[in-house]
Amino acid sequence: MSKLLNLALGILAAIGGFVDIGDLVFNTAAGATFGYQLMWVIPIGVVGIIVYSEMCGRVAAVSGKAVFDAVRERVGFKAGLFALISSELVNLLTLAAEIGGVAIALQLLSGLDYVVLLPLTVVGLAVVVWTTQLDWIERIFGYGGLCLLVFAVAAVKLGPPWVKVGNGFIPHLAQNNPWLYLYFVVGLLGAAMTPYEVYFYSSGGIEDRWTPKDIGLNRANAIVGYGLGGFLSLALMITGAAVFLKHGINPEHLGTIALGTEEPLGKIGLLLALVGILFAVGGASIDTVFSGAYNLAQFFGWEWGRYRHPAGAPRFTLTWLVLFVAAFAIVVTGVDPVMLTEYAVIFSAVALPLTYIPILLVANDPEYMRANRNGRLANVLGLVYLVMIMVIAITAIPLMLITNVGQN
Amino acid sequence: MAKVHIGKNVLDHQLLDKNGRRCGNVDDLGIEDDVVVAIYSGPGVWPQRAGWIGRLAGWIGGGNRVRIPWDEVAKIDSAVHLKQTAADYGLGSGDDRLRPYLEKIPGSHR
Repeated sequence: MSKLLNLALGILAAIGGFVDIGDLVFNTAAGATFGYQLMWVIPIGVVGIIVYSEMCGRVAAVSGKAVFDAVRERVGFKAGLFALISSELVNLLTLAAEIGGVAIALQLLSGLDYVVLLPLTVVGLAVVVWTTQLDWIERIFGYGGLCLLVFAVAAVKLGPPWVKVGNGFIPHLAQNNPWLYLYFVVGLLGAAMTPYEVYFYSSGGIEDRWTPKDIGLNRANAIVGYGLGGFLSLALMITGAAVFLKHGINPEHLGTIALGTEEPLGKIGLLLALVGILFAVGGASIDTVFSGAYNLAQFFGWEWGRYRHPAGAPRFTLTWLVLFVAAFAIVVTGVDPVMLTEYAVIFSAVALPLTYIPILLVANDPEYMRANRNGRLANVLGLVYLVMIMVIAITAIPLMLITNVGQN
Repeated sequence: MAKVHIGKNVLDHQLLDKNGRRCGNVDDLGIEDDVVVAIYSGPGVWPQRAGWIGRLAGWIGGGNRVRIPWDEVAKIDSAVHLKQTAADYGLGSGDDRLRPYLEKIPGSHR
């Protein structure tokens, strides 16, 4: 019974924890720009993150290797170092955007000044990480993030044209402004398959001491958690379409995204949306800062782990502290967190193959994986997504330049 | 010891000391007359692995290099297990040097 309860609790936390600032920004902006025409991209992104999370969770359970162990062993020191540096840079951009997002949510909830709230946000998050065990962090931020379900209520209450919503699930190209449309396709997929989620997921499996017996748990976690998280993405896009497209608003501010719930649900809707954004993005920043520390420690073979006290893994601890400071230094320049998010998502799309190719290689290695290596389904899906990721990686920056970062 | 593939099962793998402490990575191998005689670990090895970017990383890391005789390898599975503690080889010194500073912050041993 307690195992079922644990699974249920874990899944709840995963729903709240799936949505980060990239999902919030891209799903809402896609709805506000193209209505329901991009709904089809969401399930594709969700299946992608499920396929690769399941794979690297299984690798962690069977071989005890996290993503950057695998990267280094499979592609060697030089290419691995290149992958490491790009991942860390993308991670840092993402972290900076998330910290800015938390500060904006706090600003809208408290009325205090954004510039005052930025250092408080960073110090507050660092204190939480220093003093709180990570399973509690996951629960607190995961359950708080569940407030985002208000977007699902809002989406239904807005009474969108369901036939149009349904048609949006059929892949097609928009007639008007196809480049911008493609930019959103890449952004939505990049936001759904953000690499830090995979780093965090696989390292978490090792910290939770998964063994081959936990392969079923891993599969359930990945499918249900990310699947239901994708459901929130759909709600965000519907709200974006039903509220902002109608009024011709481009939600360029994080607060505007929350406003999508005010029209159908009033002040209480807005409040829940802001609290949801605060916890979801706050949780995501902790996941991101840990991912950065995991990657570095795994690549160089340092002691790492969130279940060790901070002094038990000194260089790991110093890494996440430094990442917090560096992210603060970026966001305190006054750069807009929503803009930062777009850059973070597009650059992470470019870096995706560096992470996913080694995972696919290791998951197929009979020596490590024995009977648990990839089956046909995992390999077919893995290869299909790999090709897609390559196309995304190559087209992401040209599309960003053509569309002036989604501004035209 | 079962047959191992040096390139695949040893190079770039995690080093664990006798207490299971993660204490570095197999950054290079010492080979004499086609026989592996030692493992090298530490930032001092990185320049020869990755050109200018390795030199930069090695310089940031402090340039330390540790040589561990091959006889000190106890077991090879998904990691390379050593017979003694990390401190005996001078491995993990980065963590050991940093620890006292972190311990000054309250809650570092929670």
